[in-house]
Amino acid sequence: MKRNWGTLLLSTLVVSGMTLTACSSGTPSDDKGDPSDTANNTKSVSAEGFPIVEEPIKLEMFTRIAPTNGPFKDMPVFQDYEKMSNIQVEFTEAPTDGFNEKKNLLFASNELPDALYRSGLTPLEATRYGAGGQLIPLEDLIESHAPNLKLLMDTYPEIRSAITTPEGHIYAIPGIVTVNAARTDKRWMNQTWLKKLNLKEPETTEELYEVLKAFRDQDPNGNGKQDELPMTARNGLSIVPIMGGSFGLDFQLGYNINLENDKVDIWMGSERNKELLMYLNKLYTEKLLDNELFTHKEAQYLAKQGSGNTGFFFDQTNNPMLDTKVADQYIGISPVEGPHGDRLQLAAPVPRDFGAFAITSVNKHPEATMRWVDYFYGDEGSTLLRFGRLNEHYELRDGIPYYTDAFLATGNQSKLTPYAGGGAPHLISEKVASYINPPQVQEAQKKLDPYMPEIRYAAPMFDEQTAQQINVLRNDIDKYYEEQSTKFIAGTLSFDKWEEFQATLKKMNIDELQKLYQEAYDNIKNQ
Amino acid sequence: MKSTATTTGAASRSRSGRSRLLKSMSSRYDLYLMLLIPIVWYLVFHYGPLYGLQIAFKNFSPAKGIFESSWVGLEHFERFVESYYFWRLLWNTVSINLFSLLFAFPIPILLALLINEIRSKAFSKIVQNVTYIPHFISIVVMVGMLMLFLSPRGGPVNAIIEALGGEPVRFLDSAAWFKTIFISSNIWQNMGWQSIIYIAALSGVNPQLYEAAKMDGASRLRRIWHVSLPGILPVIVILLILDVGHFMNVGFEKILLMQNNLNLESSDVISTFVYTTGILKGEYSYTAAIGLFNSVINLALLILVNRFARKKAETSLW
Repeated sequence: MKRNWGTLLLSTLVVSGMTLTACSSGTPSDDKGDPSDTANNTKSVSAEGFPIVEEPIKLEMFTRIAPTNGPFKDMPVFQDYEKMSNIQVEFTEAPTDGFNEKKNLLFASNELPDALYRSGLTPLEATRYGAGGQLIPLEDLIESHAPNLKLLMDTYPEIRSAITTPEGHIYAIPGIVTVNAARTDKRWMNQTWLKKLNLKEPETTEELYEVLKAFRDQDPNGNGKQDELPMTARNGLSIVPIMGGSFGLDFQLGYNINLENDKVDIWMGSERNKELLMYLNKLYTEKLLDNELFTHKEAQYLAKQGSGNTGFFFDQTNNPMLDTKVADQYIGISPVEGPHGDRLQLAAPVPRDFGAFAITSVNKHPEATMRWVDYFYGDEGSTLLRFGRLNEHYELRDGIPYYTDAFLATGNQSKLTPYAGGGAPHLISEKVASYINPPQVQEAQKKLDPYMPEIRYAAPMFDEQTAQQINVLRNDIDKYYEEQSTKFIAGTLSFDKWEEFQATLKKMNIDELQKLYQEAYDNIKNQ
Repeated sequence: MKSTATTTGAASRSRSGRSRLLKSMSSRYDLYLMLLIPIVWYLVFHYGPLYGLQIAFKNFSPAKGIFESSWVGLEHFERFVESYYFWRLLWNTVSINLFSLLFAFPIPILLALLINEIRSKAFSKIVQNVTYIPHFISIVVMVGMLMLFLSPRGGPVNAIIEALGGEPVRFLDSAAWFKTIFISSNIWQNMGWQSIIYIAALSGVNPQLYEAAKMDGASRLRRIWHVSLPGILPVIVILLILDVGHFMNVGFEKILLMQNNLNLESSDVISTFVYTTGILKGEYSYTAAIGLFNSVINLALLILVNRFARKKAETSLW
């Protein structure tokens, strides 16, 4: 009796230890997309105008729901658009926390929806699942059924290069941003404090340091306590791209890359990066830079923005401050000039949100699906998506939509649109940006405009094999780089170890990685 | 010895044995039907998934499915062993468990002995309840509590340190503190719960033994040492073996929640690595290989400890 019990127990332990290794039960995608079926459907999909299909159809989509959003089925855009297009979309919503996990398990178990909406696929995922046949190539569909998207891709050639694989396939389409203000994080500085301490806007890294020191020591909030937070930023290393421009570090090709004379230079081990990290380390150890930088969560960071007790921080919009009394305290300033005269502003590429929408192999109506999403790449569709219904949610002033005051007063703005929380597949143009681009943000953007890079290459697409190679390399390198940079900034790793850091990067084959990116860049150039 | 004796007559007896088994099975069919439920459960949820283990030796592509994916042999194992983080992952996984075993394993035993010695029934019940209630706090809440208590800005622990004239310590962003905090908070949370089984075993020790020891003039400590401890030794050994059985599977959720780039040096363990690389980045084959590697070590440890226990303590699982 005892023996049996023991064996059984042993088996349980062993096997339960192994369950993690076996989390899939997929069968190859079958013939759901029957060719004759598709042919029939093509006929009923009108090439332009609404409704998109004569007979109502139903699509299942998997989507991410941000903490600020309400249920998608209550959003006016989807309610109205369903009537307009004759396409009923049923959303499966996964919260932002744990979204990547759910998304990948969806593919691993091969239980696919018809399309992924606001899915934030990475280039690697798009290539992998596309080459594996779970995502269908979209380039022909875009040509035939997506006039708005096609127009954008012709106007901004960098979009095509950012989403096309070397084999010429497009597996996922991005969220596109043509308004500059949505491509940058503004540098919000507390002007009330500046005035009170009689300081001017800092122009160089040294001046910035002095200003922050004054914020810390001279009690600008006037409560007699040294409780001011001179500078903070989003969790983790987000501060690196923000300050990197002052040290001559650019972020081309979606990675830590400088481009000089068509040469790809991964700068992680460079002297410039060391200077940047040393500067940040100085701010951190003197408590000028928020010491909770590496542990605070998004919600805490947003709360710090609205507290009025923060001197300097970074965000795309002024929205987190809007509901608070302190919004007027802040103005946007220009990037500061570094020790070598560098003064560059980081900006996201025009195809800002990669992998925002993709169609899977089980979708029986790919043409209709493409037309469905294409609407949001025009001003009309984008207005519907971002603003909802005319008069009920927004009004037109000089042809530009603005939320009505009555609607803003309800506090439901972010609940009723899928763009809040980022990453929705649509166009953000000047025309639909009144809320995220109010005068205060426009002013802040004007300070950044002179320092915007001429062209910003988005992360390139690799063929599947190269993508896998890069993935293996970057798994180790990125992890190492992030961890060591964090430690350099926080001061738990001394800069005596810099050479060791460089040597380890070399050992992890950073040269090979640089070569692969160089090849990808050459491909883009030759296109 | 016993086994050689039984094999001689095995052939002749097996037929009659089988018919007897069938007979007893048919007469007790209801009991066997009940047994069927756990057997099916094991087959479906524990043996069934073993089929998927083959992806550790393949390049798993979800579109092709488990069976159709192409074989790559030991490639994924090689990649893991050669990976920069291999030794760190292994050391952290092993050391967290080793320290847990060293520090966290004896404490419930001590607690059980203490509670057993409390004379007042009511008081011992209170102590028992107070110590085991933390077990019911969920891990997320637990980590939230740690963050609040240990925060360098206004956390009570640092407030005390500052009041005593010290510098506030950034407990949660420091690699040096990670293991201490992880293990000691585990002890706090689980000691009461784990002591229950020892308390039960202690109540099974024959009271006459205590009385006899008392008559012989043994002090309290002596009675604990010579009566209580030997009385629960088999239970201790069994639980120790079971603990070793989980040796490589550390409290994954808690570590993941406590992890950040500043303490990664000592908080990066195999299970969190499998999660971040496998589930979040979709490298199923690679991480299946790592998981398998982990399980094999676990199995080896379990067999070793069991054999050791059988020899030395004459108690074992099988």
